[in-house]
Amino acid sequence: MNPKKKQALPKTIQHQPVRFVLDGELIDVNDYTTNQTLLEYLRDTLQRKGTKEGCAEGDCGACTVVLGQLSEDKESIQLSTSNACLQYLPTLDGKQVFTVESLGSELADLHPVQRSLVEHHGSQCGFCTPGFVMSLFWLYKNKTQTCYQELLEVLSGNICRCTGYRSILDAGLHMYKYASSVIPTVPNTEDKNPEAEKWMSLAGPSPTQNNANLALLKRCVRKTTFAQYAQEERQDPSKLHYLAPQSTEDLASIVLDRPDATLLAGGTDIGVSITKAFTEFPLLVYTGNIKALKKINITANQTEVGSAVTLSQIIPTLLSEYPELEDFFKRFASLPIRNIATLAGNICNASPVGDSIPLLLCLDSHLKLRTGNSHRVLPLSEFYLGYQKTALQTGEFLESIQIPRRGQSAHLASFKVSKRHDQDISAVCAAFYLKHNDRSEHSIKIAYGGMAAIPKRATATEDFINNNHLNTETILQAMNILKQEFTPLSDFRASAEYRSKVAGNLLYRFLNEVIYPDTPPATA
Amino acid sequence: MSDTHDYKQIGTRPIRPDGVDKITGRANYGADYSLPGMLHGVVLRSPYAHANIKRIDLGKALALEGVYAAVSGADFPDVAAGGMGGEGGGDFKDLASNIMARDKALYHGHAVAAVAATSRELAIEALDLIEVDYEVLTPVMNLDAAMAENAPLLNDKIYTMGVNPKPEQPSNVAARMEFKRGDIDAGFADAEVIVEGEFRTPTVHQGYIEPHACLATMNQGGQATLWCSTQGHFEVRTAVSKTLDMDVCDIKVIATEIGGGFGGKTVIYQEPVAILMSKISGRPVKMVMDREEVFRASGPASATLSKIKLGAKKDGTLTAMSCWMAYEAGAFPGSSMAPGAMCIFAPYKTDNFLIEGFDVVVNKPKVAAYRAPGAPQSMYACESLMDELAYKLEMDPIDLRLKNAVEKGDQAAYGPKFNEVGLRECLIAAKEHPNYSRELTETQGRGISVGFWFNAGMQSSAEVHINENGTVMVIEGNPDIGGSRASMALMAAETLGVPYEKVRVLVGDTETAGFTNVTGGSRTTFATGMAVIQASQDIISQAKQRAAKTWEIDEDQVDWQDGHAVPMPGVNADWEPLSLAKIAAKSGRTGGPLLGRASLNARGAGPGFSVNIAEVDVDPETGKTEVVGFTAIQDAGKAIHPAYVEGQLQGGAVQGIGWALNEEYVYDDKGVMQNPGFLDYRIPVASDLPKIDTVIIEVPNKAHPYGVRGVGETPIVAPLAAVANAVRSAIGIRVGELPLSPPRLLAAMDE
Ligand SMILES: Cc1cc2nc3c(=O)[nH]c(=O)nc-3n(C[C@H](O)[C@H](O)[C@H](O)COP(=O)(O)OP(=O)(O)OC[C@H]3O[C@@H](n4cnc5c(N)ncnc54)[C@H](O)[C@@H]3O)c2cc1C
Ligand code: FES
Ligand code: FES
Repeated sequence: MNPKKKQALPKTIQHQPVRFVLDGELIDVNDYTTNQTLLEYLRDTLQRKGTKEGCAEGDCGACTVVLGQLSEDKESIQLSTSNACLQYLPTLDGKQVFTVESLGSELADLHPVQRSLVEHHGSQCGFCTPGFVMSLFWLYKNKTQTCYQELLEVLSGNICRCTGYRSILDAGLHMYKYASSVIPTVPNTEDKNPEAEKWMSLAGPSPTQNNANLALLKRCVRKTTFAQYAQEERQDPSKLHYLAPQSTEDLASIVLDRPDATLLAGGTDIGVSITKAFTEFPLLVYTGNIKALKKINITANQTEVGSAVTLSQIIPTLLSEYPELEDFFKRFASLPIRNIATLAGNICNASPVGDSIPLLLCLDSHLKLRTGNSHRVLPLSEFYLGYQKTALQTGEFLESIQIPRRGQSAHLASFKVSKRHDQDISAVCAAFYLKHNDRSEHSIKIAYGGMAAIPKRATATEDFINNNHLNTETILQAMNILKQEFTPLSDFRASAEYRSKVAGNLLYRFLNEVIYPDTPPATA
Repeated sequence: MSDTHDYKQIGTRPIRPDGVDKITGRANYGADYSLPGMLHGVVLRSPYAHANIKRIDLGKALALEGVYAAVSGADFPDVAAGGMGGEGGGDFKDLASNIMARDKALYHGHAVAAVAATSRELAIEALDLIEVDYEVLTPVMNLDAAMAENAPLLNDKIYTMGVNPKPEQPSNVAARMEFKRGDIDAGFADAEVIVEGEFRTPTVHQGYIEPHACLATMNQGGQATLWCSTQGHFEVRTAVSKTLDMDVCDIKVIATEIGGGFGGKTVIYQEPVAILMSKISGRPVKMVMDREEVFRASGPASATLSKIKLGAKKDGTLTAMSCWMAYEAGAFPGSSMAPGAMCIFAPYKTDNFLIEGFDVVVNKPKVAAYRAPGAPQSMYACESLMDELAYKLEMDPIDLRLKNAVEKGDQAAYGPKFNEVGLRECLIAAKEHPNYSRELTETQGRGISVGFWFNAGMQSSAEVHINENGTVMVIEGNPDIGGSRASMALMAAETLGVPYEKVRVLVGDTETAGFTNVTGGSRTTFATGMAVIQASQDIISQAKQRAAKTWEIDEDQVDWQDGHAVPMPGVNADWEPLSLAKIAAKSGRTGGPLLGRASLNARGAGPGFSVNIAEVDVDPETGKTEVVGFTAIQDAGKAIHPAYVEGQLQGGAVQGIGWALNEEYVYDDKGVMQNPGFLDYRIPVASDLPKIDTVIIEVPNKAHPYGVRGVGETPIVAPLAAVANAVRSAIGIRVGELPLSPPRLLAAMDE
């Protein structure tokens, strides 16, 4: 409870230099501590105080910034929002950063988003405002119009305690109208409006306008390999506290050579374990610069998701196959968290309430694990050995997740039970997968998180349902079996009774909706 | 008068003067300041909820290189007991012990020592070197435990006040209060219908997004300068002077921009610690809480228990109202029980009522004011039971309230007679609102509730300076939390007759502004606004004098119209009107700069009534409540800047919705809060909410030149019961304990 402690690095430390783009300039950082965040760097080192700290845990969005990254073809810049408080400084290497100061600073040159917010009176105390500006700025750069639902999603990681959000949402809805205050409505022959240019050139959709930024960004991307370090450095735990390999091979040899290494993917779990549990990591190895791990490979049988693929990247792919999961994924953390958090991180973090896990269990997913140059493929259902304990061995890491393609006549649902709609950890998460032709031939998979020390399939309940006719009687009996099958714990999120009860109710809801699609759900 | 006023600027919605600073990130908040050579201060906090402090040894921490100061309770002066007044209540001696524990740690997170070092990391390292011996005691974590016989005592010097004769034994009940009128027994005997209920509310936090932050420096002459995020820098000055035994004239407090307060930044935590460590080290000291510290050691609002009983005739006329209510004060006496008791029956005409209130200490952080302190909890109880009464009488809940609603001339349950108030108007607006009658589905429900807060006046000062080009500088002393600069500028512009754009507003520090009480109590637009208007009128009379001088006529022959001095109608003079700018340009020749002033202790803050309509949908399988519609209707007297009035209504509604549905401190059996972060302490985000609809009612407050009554606090009062009543209507069961979280509702529906 006393303020968090950050480990100071020994003076002799070697670490990879970091270079990123900020407001058209290259920023080189050679001296940093592994745990230093972008937020600290902006506020303390660069004295850019516009980005605020409200929680330092990714919860409030006061620190929201926009990051730019070179697209795969290196022809454009892809933007995403991020929580600067969880973004470790070295992970910025090769990226572009926009903060509220990157936008307008006077009434005359306000960005349309800022103008809309100020004219809709979108701030009261104003502390949350820079964060909202950046979330809306990202949306503005990515779309040419928006709607209420989309705004709710984009702003899911921004808390405002003062306004009740309405004025902010109104500002978002109308922000495109303010474009005309920067882009002249009456075109003045060839004269370009320098203001308009400025907004477009930040990272506009057209590559030609981005040449300068693209060139700068390309200059940030440099090659380094583990092999460049001397042998004794590679193995000495007092040296090298942060590495960002660029190939899977390099990653594999680091993990082999340094048993004390911890993989850093999005860092949204690692970050919280640093700030909350005071965990000190001797060596963090960032996976986000490895192209091969950022790939999604779709074949006839499976979707293979690289372990550095972010949730924002994978969700559209999964949704194109399972559109019924849209609501579920929308409720996974918040947009800025999804932008950096990975599916692999969710799996390897081994939390009993990792939201993706029941779903992946129901889909019979497999994990491709790697040690050095050898691989093994493990069913996800065999990955969890105990509370926060996985089958990963020393020197081993997760390379990709293999998710089978959709089966025929499959019904799928995944639920997240929490108090708040967005940005909340589940008390219970559940996934159900049912294949059936008619009522006698069916097979079901049921998985829960939050009901045991590990996310788990409900095999006894599954067996019972599989061996019986699908009807209300079966469902009710299955709910009883389910109650026997799990003995959840009580904690501050929910009581054991609640978890048990709700787990059964969700099963009821799912089956009832599949069997009797036309009747509205009723209470069990 | 004000209702017939033909306003030119008041009631419009211009951009606030500080809007651009807020939107560009240039506004500087508490943690944004730094000084050369600055040290970072951090606090060592008690790991136990209740413990005697046997020994503290700072030696090893002080020996660490880079540590310049380390302090514990023994380093602070003894503070004499004495009431703090204001919205929060409490005593300066207790405030001092809350800032730094003396011989006892009274809650998990209680400050026991502090260190200042060249970096935050180093200071934290030094905390580990501080040795503290604790004797761990049993924590007392709720009202039932605290009021139980033989309960462990937090403080054996507490003898319940307000009991005659003085009790023989000390207890955790710090005070008992009674308000009554008429004959309560006769009232209930007279009743044809009686309803009773018990209602509980949890400990909740104000939840401002900006953590507490300050920067202090003391020079060798013993004068301190303090930058801090606060709702009232003059009160900070007083509190610092009391806790450090300094003269107020040696303390300069500069209020930074403030990232939300809601009452929680009317008290101080780190400021005296930073000043003391600056004094010891000779360097500036900055202290910023992290989020966890904010939850564990600042803020919260009282958890409460109310047992309430209402009696009525069959036609709905109330014959008797009684309430027994207990409020947790946290570690030190001084909850918001008294204002809670004063508000609870205020909306209704009651001949017979009895309120018995208790202020109870428990091993939680000392509560601080939270928007209409005390009222949301008590009125949640009353308005929930009013709803039950309506069910029992088979009456429309709005009709029941209309039947009993107070109006001008009625004596408020808390004492004074009401002037014009807008309760009836709000109720009628609610009844006529389309949201009150739209179709609901089977799992949905609708509820209404009345809200009330009496609003404060208190002391304010303002100066109005006219620059040489006629532009206007207003200097006042209320930190701007939600757009008050805009309201001040509008009132000055309206009074002077100059365009809004020509007015600037400066929130002065304790050395540049005249004494002004906190931004709190919904008093700023009312009281400080009044001072700004009077200071503007002072300018007008000076400007008329100057015009008279220029024109060489008598002062009473000059009139003021639309920002110009003009000869009075009928005055036989052929002068061009003189604008403020022209008068200002020549002011050097006519007697010097124009400087208007006013200071006042404002009386007649008009009470604020509201009515809220909540519509919810309760998921029968998970117990989760979704608010699908919310309508906030409130009497603002006169909305100076309607957008910021709506903002108050919407923001308060959302805080109230969070309180009703999700927010609560969850403790383990050792008294340790389990959810001290935003992820687990669930403040609503946009997707949890419907668009909040607002209706501003304007029943002018005659005590204010433009009819203003405070609007900041009332909005949080009604949502608790409105949501609870909507849930009641959706599930058909009354759950008398907040929050109405999914587990609680599912369990209730199960029974
Ligand atoms: C504000 C907030 C909200 C959140 N909301 C949710 C939510 O709604 N639902 C939910 O399930 N979670 C939530 N989380 C938790 C977290 O975001 C997810 O678990 C996320 O998927 C973790 O991914 P990451 O890439 O950030 O993991 P990291 O923090 O980088 O890593 C997590 C763990 O996985 C290990 N790891 C990462 N990659 C590999 C690999 N390739 N091989 C082996 N080990 C590896 C790391 O060493 C670490 O132990 C939330 C977190 C925050 C801060
Ligand atoms: S500071 Fe709250 S999300 Fe980063
Ligand atoms: S305006 Fe205060 S938190 Fe949003």
